[in-house]
Amino acid sequence: MAEALVEVDKLVTRFGGSTVLKGVSLQVMRGEIVALIGGSGTGKSVLLKQIIGLLRPTSGRTALFGTDIWSASSAELSSLRQRFGMLFQDGALFSSINIEQNVATPLFEHTDLPKSQCLKLARLKLALVGLPASAALKMPNELSGGMRKRAALARALALDPELLFLDEPTSGLDPISARAFDDLIRALSHNLGLTVLLITHDLDTLLSIIDRVIVLAHGEVLGSGSIAEIRQIDDPWLKEYFSARASLENPSHA
Amino acid sequence: MQAPTLRTELHSDTLHIYATGDWRLTQLGTLPAWRYAPLPDTIELDGGAIASLDPSGALALLQNLNAQGVDINKVGLANFSTGHLDILNLVREHFGASRAVRPPRRKWVARLGKSTETGINHLIHLINFVGKLTIEMAGLVVTPSRFRWKEFVNQVEAIFIYAIPLVFAMMFLLGLVFAYLLGRQAERYGANIFVVDGAALAICRELAPVIVAILVAGRSGAAITAQLGTMKVYEETDAISVLGLSPCVVLVIPRIFALLIALPLLVFIGDIAGLLGSMVIADQQLGITSAAFIHRLQQELDLPTVLVGLLKAPIFAMFIGVIACYMGLSVARDARSIGLNTTSTVVQSIVAVILLNAIIAITLVKLGI
Repeated sequence: MAEALVEVDKLVTRFGGSTVLKGVSLQVMRGEIVALIGGSGTGKSVLLKQIIGLLRPTSGRTALFGTDIWSASSAELSSLRQRFGMLFQDGALFSSINIEQNVATPLFEHTDLPKSQCLKLARLKLALVGLPASAALKMPNELSGGMRKRAALARALALDPELLFLDEPTSGLDPISARAFDDLIRALSHNLGLTVLLITHDLDTLLSIIDRVIVLAHGEVLGSGSIAEIRQIDDPWLKEYFSARASLENPSHA
Repeated sequence: MQAPTLRTELHSDTLHIYATGDWRLTQLGTLPAWRYAPLPDTIELDGGAIASLDPSGALALLQNLNAQGVDINKVGLANFSTGHLDILNLVREHFGASRAVRPPRRKWVARLGKSTETGINHLIHLINFVGKLTIEMAGLVVTPSRFRWKEFVNQVEAIFIYAIPLVFAMMFLLGLVFAYLLGRQAERYGANIFVVDGAALAICRELAPVIVAILVAGRSGAAITAQLGTMKVYEETDAISVLGLSPCVVLVIPRIFALLIALPLLVFIGDIAGLLGSMVIADQQLGITSAAFIHRLQQELDLPTVLVGLLKAPIFAMFIGVIACYMGLSVARDARSIGLNTTSTVVQSIVAVILLNAIIAITLVKLGI
């Protein structure tokens, strides 16, 4: 039995009067690529923020690498945070420093390596995510959306994390860039042995790189399993979600 | 975790380099030193004893070999686990990318030229902006219905109403201190009553307009730049253009008109607050009663003095408004630029206010007003 890197147990979240998550439980095992899907407003992003310790849940337990993050000391939390990377939806690159410094920032902060070595590692990461060397000295606002995502992924990979969280990695990218990004994530997770938990709306991502899908609906986990298993679930939102794809492939049935 | 080590052995003309331990980012502080000279032709890297390897460790390993003159593309790899081999090959493929690319540093002449060009461009854009603003204002005269009353009223509320307590408090204290210092001097010559003349002239003609303009530049000028800058970053100004509206009419003109109305009113409030402050200190320090103070004020403070102060205000307002809106709309699409432009607005506005005030003062003296 593989080790569970992410554990969420009976998580409940209320904002004011409305309950966003009503008892969500899930696990992500080492080496898996897991996608979290669900309609807009089902609390996917909230759940992700709670998993990485940015937002405190109303009740329930979230653990990373077997450590309960809401009872961890700040030192434990800091060392936990060095073991995972997070790719934010719009990249969240620091706009006042250039790309290589953006990627090197986690290394400056968390290692004792000399500055030149940090920058070398940063440029290696930029090459690994497929950015040309000329991008290293550019400012974030000088890059296209796809390149910004890649640079943000390089920053998420800076500390060689075992676990990677991606919030809609392919949103805002054209289909070609999106597929290239999928391949990149697949290749990196395969080569580097990464465990990945990602939020996505992109069916192509699901069909190409995902080991397991977790469906979130009405504040609960509706199901978890392979695409084929998920398709068997009788839920109006899921039916519509997959039929959008079917009508694209067989226009005559639409 | 174990520290990473390297060990060399020579077997039948092949140098075997045995890597052991954890080659990970956290272990890179203690890298092994080794030296083997002269290097034989065939070199083999043995990774059988590597406990763990991540891309940073792989880069360090390859850098270590490279530094000793080993050609990392020719070195043989033996006994690596599949996972480690994948990482090592991936990093080896991109090894060259870790080298720095530095743009050639510009000479100081080039930098001077570049900054001059930036300065001239800034001036040209500002003149363009003023021209565009003038055309839009002329357009508004033709079709006054396009004027944004709601935005104008909101801005008057933000710039005028909410600034009243601040302006009142600041000018009251300033009047207090000014009259106190003046009184210290006047007392010595028994010229107590002239404190009223001095305070009234200074406050109404110079202090209130300049100080209030500086307060408004810092408070509302900065707010306008930050708000318009953020709207620019989120493409809201583009959305306004796409709707067939002019950002100038929708955003800039209401703000400039609001400043034109608010600043003279605030200066008037500042005049009253400053005189009240002087009146309080004159009573306490110099024994001039409030009644005597007001009587003297009526005799000495003539209308032109007050009007000069009040009429300076719209001129200052115009400059603050144009600078703040221009800086807001010329923000580049990043967070740092908003901060830089906001700072720049406050600095430019304050410099403009003080310069204009000096020019007006000299002109009025020459004209004998």
